[in-house]
Amino acid sequence: MTELMQPDSRRCTYFFLYDGSKVKGEGDLTREGICYFYPEETPLDEQELLCGQLAGAGRCVSELSSSPVCVLRLRRNKFAIRMKDDFFWALGCPVEVPTISVCELLDQLINLFRFYNGSVRRSYQLNRPETLASRWAQYLSHLQSGSSDLHHIFSCLRTIDATNIDPLLLLKAALILQACQRCPLVSAGCVLFRGRVVSTQISPELTMKVMVHESETYTKGPRCNDPGTFNSFGGAVSSTTVFLTVSELQHLQSGPGDKDFRSHSTPHKKKPTRKTRLSRTLSNTPSTESEPSDAFSSPSFSRRLSDSSVFSPDPSQSGADPTPQQPDPPFSNGEPSPEAEEEVPEESNYESFHSNGNGVSQMHNEAGGSLFGEDSRLNGGGGDGDAARGPVFDFRGAEESRDHNVFEEVSGGGCGNVQGRGAESPDPARSDDSPLIPMTLYLHRVKGLVLALLVEPCFLSDTDSMEEVYHSSLASLNGLEAHLRTVSPGASGPQGPYLFAHFDCVQSTLTTNLSARPGGALQRPFVRATSLLHSHFCNTETLQEAIIRSAGAAVYGTRSVAQETYFQQHGGSLRNSGIPNHQDSAFSLPGKARHRLLKHGVNLI
Amino acid sequence: MKCLLIASESAEVLFHWTDPEFQQNVQKQYGASQEDGQGLPAFEDSISTLFAPIIISCITMVDRLRDSYTSFTTENHHIYVLHQFDECLYIAVNGDGEEGECDLRRKIYVVKKMTEVLFGMVTLSSNLLRKELRPQDTEQRARLWKHLQSLLQTYGHLRENDQSFLVEAVERLIHPTLCEQCIEFLERRLVQQLNSSGERAGEEVMHAFILVHTKLLAFYSSRNASSLSTSDLLVLIIMAQNMYPSNTDSDDPNPEVENDRRTSGSGPESFYTPEPSPPPDRGSSSSGGFCGRCCSMAEDSLQTLEVPPPDPSTPRRVFLEVSLKDGLYPMMPHSMYCLPLWPGITLVLLTKIPTSAVAMSVYTFLEAFAKLEKRLSEGQEGSAATRGQRTIHEVRGKLDKFIKALGPTEIQVCWIEFKNLAFTRGGPGFSRHLIPSCKKMKTQLCAVYRQCFLLESGSSSIPQRLSPGLQERAQSMVQEKLMDWKDFLLVKSRRNITMDFPGLIHFICVDRSTGQMIAPSLNLTERNTSELGKGPLAQFIRRKVWTLVNTTRRYLQKGYSTVTFRDGDFYFCYFLWFENETGFKLEAGDLPVLSDDSAPIGMLAWDYYRKLLRYYSKSHQGEVVKCYELLTVHLGVVPAEIILQHCRQLASKLWEPSRNPLL
Repeated sequence: MTELMQPDSRRCTYFFLYDGSKVKGEGDLTREGICYFYPEETPLDEQELLCGQLAGAGRCVSELSSSPVCVLRLRRNKFAIRMKDDFFWALGCPVEVPTISVCELLDQLINLFRFYNGSVRRSYQLNRPETLASRWAQYLSHLQSGSSDLHHIFSCLRTIDATNIDPLLLLKAALILQACQRCPLVSAGCVLFRGRVVSTQISPELTMKVMVHESETYTKGPRCNDPGTFNSFGGAVSSTTVFLTVSELQHLQSGPGDKDFRSHSTPHKKKPTRKTRLSRTLSNTPSTESEPSDAFSSPSFSRRLSDSSVFSPDPSQSGADPTPQQPDPPFSNGEPSPEAEEEVPEESNYESFHSNGNGVSQMHNEAGGSLFGEDSRLNGGGGDGDAARGPVFDFRGAEESRDHNVFEEVSGGGCGNVQGRGAESPDPARSDDSPLIPMTLYLHRVKGLVLALLVEPCFLSDTDSMEEVYHSSLASLNGLEAHLRTVSPGASGPQGPYLFAHFDCVQSTLTTNLSARPGGALQRPFVRATSLLHSHFCNTETLQEAIIRSAGAAVYGTRSVAQETYFQQHGGSLRNSGIPNHQDSAFSLPGKARHRLLKHGVNLI
Repeated sequence: MKCLLIASESAEVLFHWTDPEFQQNVQKQYGASQEDGQGLPAFEDSISTLFAPIIISCITMVDRLRDSYTSFTTENHHIYVLHQFDECLYIAVNGDGEEGECDLRRKIYVVKKMTEVLFGMVTLSSNLLRKELRPQDTEQRARLWKHLQSLLQTYGHLRENDQSFLVEAVERLIHPTLCEQCIEFLERRLVQQLNSSGERAGEEVMHAFILVHTKLLAFYSSRNASSLSTSDLLVLIIMAQNMYPSNTDSDDPNPEVENDRRTSGSGPESFYTPEPSPPPDRGSSSSGGFCGRCCSMAEDSLQTLEVPPPDPSTPRRVFLEVSLKDGLYPMMPHSMYCLPLWPGITLVLLTKIPTSAVAMSVYTFLEAFAKLEKRLSEGQEGSAATRGQRTIHEVRGKLDKFIKALGPTEIQVCWIEFKNLAFTRGGPGFSRHLIPSCKKMKTQLCAVYRQCFLLESGSSSIPQRLSPGLQERAQSMVQEKLMDWKDFLLVKSRRNITMDFPGLIHFICVDRSTGQMIAPSLNLTERNTSELGKGPLAQFIRRKVWTLVNTTRRYLQKGYSTVTFRDGDFYFCYFLWFENETGFKLEAGDLPVLSDDSAPIGMLAWDYYRKLLRYYSKSHQGEVVKCYELLTVHLGVVPAEIILQHCRQLASKLWEPSRNPLL
């Protein structure tokens, strides 16, 4: 179950961010607009050529169609494109990579940047381009590093190999996380070991984002003079500011572990209060009730509010806020205007909210105090209202809608349903507009093991809470680390006479018996078929199962709402004429898969 | 929201076709940008301005990066597909979700194929093709564009509604006895009479066939004719449909509008209302006038023009592939006579014109120069550049004679220049320096070809063709022959075959070696019910079948010859396999894996299957290899074993030697 890693299988051939606002006049040089270009060693004139041509042609097409370009193909490369204000992102991959995966990679990259830096436009106003360039490079290399082709196809989390690990250890990790949540300032977290997830309470997207920082601190090693590290904990603990979207925050707050552990530790929350709040929230909610109401009834939400006047804003942010305070509440219409300058208004609102809590609570006074004030802020959270209505984790919805753009992947025609679906699902581009809320990422490292927690910003100034979390988990972390270290890595179980890959769409995890041997000529046909079938599944909602056969391999794929499974039987007689024949071994694949995969914990019945 | 554009490298629009929505969209944008309200510029100007940056960027990418755009997709699902053939850039756009990227790429290849059939080897010179596609004379240009636009529209209609244009194979009417009788009639009576007549002006009928809507009733090729390729035959059917559209084929909910569009007031409405059974004498007595009316209707695509319609008995010049013992000659000039028998039934005659030998010579010369140029640009020099068949040395003598016969023309100057460079002692000989001269010779040869075969019919005072009387006689002979059958044929074309496999909803079976297909009917007009009846279910199945074909092509492109899937309440199967002549199933070999932007899989614009057969035959030397495809749609509740049994039975039954499947 270790990965299939090829030395030169870089997924991404090009990545650039181009700022068109810097190249408006006749005399402006294209290079002025290039914020970041990968590969960095590309000659400048080639960089200019690609940025200038792609951005120019992209803009022209967008104008003709009154909609931004999202995929651009050349003969040798395909590019996922994002156009936002004057920014133009392009991420190019070899044409064999499924278009869906390219788009996912670019979204991951942009979202990673926003997670650690906040708004892109504002980051470029506040920081030197070189600093930010190194961050893009870091995120890109993180997303490309050490994953197999299959991981790239599914854009899944890298998890620890659970088959070789005592389940009790996984339970232990989960318990550590739950214990940390006893502190009201801790939202949720995950436990990572050597760059792999052991246990997580947060959504796959968020876990993936958290892992970048983990790997960064791991490679850098603990540095005591780092502003983010705390000397009092022997350099084992560090923290950084991160930015969550409203929907991420809502999911975080509605996490299952939340309520059980919290209810007793937040005495000022009473059921009746919650009830009235809930109903009022519902009346404000544009549609389906369940998800948002969960979020709002969650105690941590209200806690956040009551604390809001306490915590002090990050000085760098409030000080440097370039935009004047908006007279109108920016969310009044529930939908940020597309012309509005990225997230700045939202954030400035957020900051005003924090820096002079009084004013804000006055503003919302007549509507039921500061609690409601917070609600309306989140409730009116612009385009994110949509996202919040999705299933448990909105990433499925986002993926689906993105798929329409690349419908061509499998079935070019019959696009009738595409439009319909597109209308229902949230527009992925909208997520760029969503306001970002700062939180703190707390990391506690014990050698290869890391406890990562998303905490309220004020957690850092609350010495008692910090010490409590640190000391209550320290012993368990040490114990867990010692156990995990002894698990022999890579000794994957005996290879059966078959290949399989099982993708859990909800947890975004992959189980497979593909070997680690680079190249793996035998595995190549399986990976190719899986990639094609995955695209087909993504594009055709009603597709349940498929068998496809080339001269070399017959692969069976099946999916349900929560999972996708791919199976190929080795050997057997592949010699056949291809004429329909019910004795053909290809058609016995579904039965074999059902039977064989049971012992891997995959139930296809 | 559809558009197709051909542009030159200097961003000049050589041809465009847009549907009304796209046109509105362009005008709206132009209106928005023109604030002074000085009225909209001509549509052609706006479209050219809007696309110019994309075209220029595309050319820049090729020049500087050796890579070019193949497609754009926007967030609102508009798709732009780009493809460059020589120096012409083709752009196809869809913004209504009805076409995917592969459909647009296919459309581009189809337009390219149409230009080849209409302009022949002139398409080999971008410079000449540019002039041909965009004549200086605006009237002529409007006329040509209307014609191309209408062909494209007819193709689009057939592609959306006709299964044989979905899978790109010809559908035969299945009635072996009648079919045989007709072939015999075409051979013994019709073609023989025509070819022995003194009124044929040196033309010789090579092929004759009868179409019932888009289905083939009978096809006869004369003994000295080469076989007609499926690709050419499909284009000819599009042309025939364009002249005499089968309005009963359409899904148009408002047939009257359709009628109006087609008759354009020049013919009686009753023409398109099939009469149950006209009096027996009508066929022979009125056939002349009948023809006249039809042909004026054929030109109705130009209805907005003031140009008088051409003489109805003037044939269309078409350029078709000819394969002879000594090789393949693409784009050889033929004349196409399309004679309507009754609404929906058409006789098509293809004749070889007396000067067609010239075309073969020109092609031989062109090929020699093209080969030489290719080798020189690859860096080969001297004798290495002139090895192999049909080389410059071989054709030198013939070319001397050929040019001498043409008299003093520009080509003579070029040829002397070429000979001086290539053959004189002490000259540069066969080296890189010869490349410009090669190019010049190619252009000159294309110009000669154009002079001989494209301008001839327009300028010459005596039209070169079968005499109108002869055409009329041919028409009435076949009408007489089919008089008793015509109503049967029209019905038969709607219900070609029936099937009786419980749980089987639909199938399509294609013989790719002959380019023929069989499928139960899926017509959805109000008057005609298909096997599935009518209404939303039939419409739903039809959509599924269309999607299925696209999906399986996608897998075939990546080397998968067997595909089955469960989708909603249905189970779909696709099989491709090879047999030898005796019906023995050959082992499935490795199929080529093609890139996403490769030429479309099909037989109309680019014969994928011919190449596939050639590729596969390499490992089966000495055997005649045949290639078959089967698509089925079953109800999902049918057990897989039964489904596979059905497929097996269909696969073996459909092409039994009796050619009498499932009757």
